[in-house]
Amino acid sequence: MTKKRKISLSEEELVQALRNREKIAIEALYDMYSSSLYGVISRIIIDTPTAEDVLQETFVKIWHSFSAYSSEKGRLFTWMVNVARNLAIDKLRSKDFKNQNKNQELENNVTFIDEQRNTVYNPDLLGVKELVEKLKPEQRLILDLVYFKGYTHVEASDELGIPLGTIKTRLRMAIIALRKYFKED
Amino acid sequence: MEDIKAYIESGILELYVLGDVTPEEKRQVEEMAAKHPAIKAELDEIERSMELYANANAVEPASDLRERILNSIVTNYGDDSTFDEQKQSPGARVAGITPAKVYNFYKYAFAACLVLLLVSVAALVSIYNRLQDSNNQIASLQLNNQHFANTVSLKDGELEVLQDASFKFLKLNGTANTPQSQVTVAWSPAKKKVWIDMRSLKMPANDAGHQYQLWALIGKKPVDLGVFDKTADSTDMKEMKSTAYADAFAVTLEPRGGSASPTMDKMMVIGKF
Repeated sequence: MTKKRKISLSEEELVQALRNREKIAIEALYDMYSSSLYGVISRIIIDTPTAEDVLQETFVKIWHSFSAYSSEKGRLFTWMVNVARNLAIDKLRSKDFKNQNKNQELENNVTFIDEQRNTVYNPDLLGVKELVEKLKPEQRLILDLVYFKGYTHVEASDELGIPLGTIKTRLRMAIIALRKYFKED
Repeated sequence: MEDIKAYIESGILELYVLGDVTPEEKRQVEEMAAKHPAIKAELDEIERSMELYANANAVEPASDLRERILNSIVTNYGDDSTFDEQKQSPGARVAGITPAKVYNFYKYAFAACLVLLLVSVAALVSIYNRLQDSNNQIASLQLNNQHFANTVSLKDGELEVLQDASFKFLKLNGTANTPQSQVTVAWSPAKKKVWIDMRSLKMPANDAGHQYQLWALIGKKPVDLGVFDKTADSTDMKEMKSTAYADAFAVTLEPRGGSASPTMDKMMVIGKF
């Protein structure tokens, strides 16, 4: 369990192993995707212990609901990140969490901030700044609202006072810019 | 082909990848993707780029979390029947509710304390005001009482003088200094008492530096009988020093406090028996 080397499999191998309910599959899944999923979860839920709970719930759900995934319909990560995002948004909107969050502000600010410092940003991603500069500010704003803040495009339209059609276009342009950037890489 | 291009450009595929579609739209996108390889390819491109974007924004979770999460899955391994109950960890649930209750309790307790404090302060102010009123009433009653007591004792004295047959009344008339002046003296040789009737006193008012002094002349010798003032509200009878003998009474104006012997040229009134 405490091995330093991270397990990595091809997506096909991983999906096959998960189907066969092999224990090694869940370890590989964690090593390959936990930081990407946690990147999304921890931006939707700022409170670290809660975000960690949601990451745990995400892996539990992926493991137990894996039969719902079909590789014909899309990539594994797309399915997983939507599981993670839905759990995070459900948590964010649950009454328990809202109450907890209030208490957090009152009592635990110091430990909360200290815990925040423990999160380590992916060190081999020196290109992030460059990537962000590829996107126009309004494209990045909408992409981050929907992808990292859990807004629907309808909510983003309301929030920003921008027509739905424009929101959709900007979202598409943002993702096209990303595609270009990753192709150049 | 045009339809497919328009469909791709509508932005629905991006929303599909972001999970922001209705179940109806989701089914539609999956149908289109199955039918048209161009749409499938576009979807795949979008998914790859979003995956890379997520990877670019990845945050490494705390290292102890790996063991915790993998253990929780191994614990549940092959025991799917209990999974639904454990989906929301009961620990987190209890922890969530308990602080909320405490928080509410303190909120209401604080509000109750505040209300009690306000009520107490209001009651205290009202009681303090009533106490002040009562104290004022007592003070004014005491003042009245003293005033009445003084008046009664004075009237008693006056009555005694008037009813006592041993008193002689003598009018002292004005000298050349103040011809208009007049002083009435009541004297009882038996009781050795001398009174001046302040009510019928007709004298010019004296200043702060001087006082009138009453003298008894026994033979040619003047004897001091005390000083008095002429003020606007002199209404009572004033008892002076006692003497058993007097041939005459006189009043002179002297420096305040009186003199040992009379200043003869300041004699105001004189009267003989």
